[in-house]
This record gives sequence, C-alpha cells and structure tokens, in this order.
Amino acid sequence: MNRNRQTEILGGIITVVILVLLIFLSNVEVNKLSYIESVASSIINPIQRIFADIRNKIEGNSIYFSNMDSITKENEELRARNSELETELRELEKIKADNATLQSYMNLTQKYSSYNTIPAYVINKDVSNFSSTLVLNVGSKDGVKENMTVIADKGLVGHVISVTENTSKVQVIIDAACTVSCTISTTNESIICKGTLENNQVLRASYIPTGAELIQGDTVYTSGIGGIYPKGIIIGTIKEIVTTSNITDRYAIVEPVVDFSKVDTVLLIVDN
Amino acid sequence: MKKFSIITILIIVFFIIYFLQENIFNAFTIAGIKPNLFIIYILFIGLFANQFVGISFGVISGLILDLLYGKTIGVSAIMLCAIAYLGSYFDKNFSKENKMTIIFMVIGATAVFEFGSYFINSIILNFEREYWNFIKILFVEIIYNILLSIIIYPMFQKLGYIVDRNFKKNNILTRYF
Repeated sequence: MNRNRQTEILGGIITVVILVLLIFLSNVEVNKLSYIESVASSIINPIQRIFADIRNKIEGNSIYFSNMDSITKENEELRARNSELETELRELEKIKADNATLQSYMNLTQKYSSYNTIPAYVINKDVSNFSSTLVLNVGSKDGVKENMTVIADKGLVGHVISVTENTSKVQVIIDAACTVSCTISTTNESIICKGTLENNQVLRASYIPTGAELIQGDTVYTSGIGGIYPKGIIIGTIKEIVTTSNITDRYAIVEPVVDFSKVDTVLLIVDN
Repeated sequence: MKKFSIITILIIVFFIIYFLQENIFNAFTIAGIKPNLFIIYILFIGLFANQFVGISFGVISGLILDLLYGKTIGVSAIMLCAIAYLGSYFDKNFSKENKMTIIFMVIGATAVFEFGSYFINSIILNFEREYWNFIKILFVEIIYNILLSIIIYPMFQKLGYIVDRNFKKNNILTRYF
C-alpha cells in the first residue's frame, strides 16, 4: 500500500514536470529548436519523399488518363509548331553562314582590290604528316591555271600546282618542299623562307645576308623574285632569330599571319 | 561472283576509310600528327587476300591518293604496292592470330611507307631532308597507327578470314598439315 502511494505521488510529480516543460517548450520560438527539427526531418523526409512521389504518380496517372485526349492534341500542335520553328531556324542559320562568307569575300577583295581574283573554298586537306596541300572548289572551268597565287584574308597561302576541271590543288608555303623568296620590311634585305617539318605553323628563313640586321617583329613580304608570287604580299613576322657559331648559316623563324589549320576561304590572283 | 562481291566490299571500305581520314582524323590529332589508315588498310589486304589483289589495290588506291593530294604522282602508289607485298610476305612467315605480330607488322609497314615516300619525294622535289624531325613525327604516327589497328583489327578480322578463304584456297593444306 505504502509503496503504491509513493509511486502515485512520483507519477503525479513527473506528469506535472512534463506538463510544465511542455508549457515552456510551447512558448519557445520554433527556430531555436531547429536542430532537433533538422534531425527529425533528415530521418523522415527521405522516406516521406518516396511516398509522396508514389502518391503524386498515382494522382498524376488519374489526371493523365482523364486528360489524355486533350494532351495528345496539344502535343501534336506543339510538334507541328516546333518543326516549323526548326525549319525557320535552319533557314536563318544558312542565311547567317552565307552572310559571313560573303562578308569575308568582300573584305578579301577590298584588301587586294588591285588584283583580279577568284574566290574559293577549301574542300580537302592533305592526309600526310610530311606534306601540306589544300584542294579548292574551283578549277579550269572557273579560269584557274597552274602557278596562280593563293591568298587568304591576312596573307599568302601558297600556289596552285595542278588543276582539274572542278578542283585545284594548292601547295601551301609551310610545306617542307616549298620555298618563297621574301624581303624584310624595314631593311629591304632579301631572304628565303622554307617550310619545316619541325613545326607546321612556322617558316624557316635562311640565306640571310651576313651584313643584314634582323629585328624581331619585322614584317616579311614576298619579293616577287621567281615569278610565281607577285611582289608585296604579307607572309608573316620574324618571331625568333637563331644565331649559330658561323654567321653565314644563321636563320630566323618566321611566323605566318595565316593560320593554316583554320584557313577555309581563299582568293586566287588571276593576273600576276 | 563471291570474289567480285568481296572486292566491291573492299572498295566500299576504302571510301569509308577515306572519309574517316579526311573528316575525323584531320581533326583528332596527337600533337598535330595524323594517323595513316591507308597503310593499315593495304597491309591487311596484303595479309588476307593474295599478292595480286593486294598489289593492285595498293597501286590503285595510291594513285587515287596521289591524284587527290600529292605533289608527285606515283610515289604513294609505289609505296602502297610495297606495303601490300610486305603484307603478303608477313602472311607467309607470321601468324595473324597474335596481336603482337600485328603490332610489329603495323610498325614495319608505317615506317617503310613514310620513310620511302619522304625519301623519294625529297629526291624528286629536291628539298632538304630533316631526319631528326622526320623520326619524331614518324614515332608519334606509328603509335597512333598501332592504337587504331588494335581497335580496327577485331572488326576487320572476320571480313579478313572470308577474304582469306576465297582467295587462298590451296594454301590451307600446306600450312596446317
């Protein structure tokens, strides 16, 4: 009996304490208990999300079945509209590309307006690592002949080595077998530029006169000697001067102004 | 009739390789260096078909390549012909089953083709030979060719054995018994 009364009193006290605590807790602001909340939510929410997903799917399905017809109709309309827009977009892209090529042609012809020229596209590039040729989309039908000079918007590209009815083959100046006679802009000294296997983005200028003073950054032009290339077309700039123990065989590295890996529109000079 | 259809398939493969080389491998280069699929193609024809077919394919595709890109006509034709001959020589002396022998064949064929065409071109066009730079480029090209041949060979092998059966009927007895 005695013991029972004691537990009754204890139970009453615990109940009161819990109730008082609850009163306190209900008055505390919710954000102060956020850590407890986050623990709880991190346990429950993932599971809840799965259930919610399932529920949503089921609910969605009922809507799906009820709205099927109207949605299919709408879908068809949207598809038709989409294909319409896509064709329009394609047309616009084509016009844009045409515009860009025409503009590049115009820039080219304005720059070299003193020459009569034929515009052309590059359609093929050499597959070998040891030579560099381009194939253009113009041929003898368009008036292309052998040994015509080929230029790009910035400078010299090469010369035509063979012509068919619809295409022509161009030897690029970076080819190891190609040699161009050049002059340096500031001193008017004449040098020879050759392609090199070492790097297919640069030329090697040799046969530099012993008295000549080379300056880094000088522009190099074609000299017109040799009869293939007309005089005064830019080739590139002197990037580096390599002095050897003997001054007669020093050479310079010339960086061409044309990026030969990206060249795609060119001009052929008709009358040299 | 069967031989005719096989040759038609091989011609189609040539065009596929041509477009791959022109459009894909001109852009996917290792340090600016392209592989040469034509060498692998002619080597495999030399390996699987008989000498006559290999050499005629070598000469014709070499001439086509020369006409399309070359500065001289006939150099690739001669060298691809040599590759086809090399292929049939390898076929008589080595196994085609082992990948290692295929790798060594590709190394040999690439080196022979590139060195030969570079040397002959340098004599015809009279330019200075840069041996060290040549070897550096050749090394990378050989590695690229080996990688490609490892990928291509299993695909080509099935077609290869069909070609083998149709062009070299009498060889089987002498080889295996």
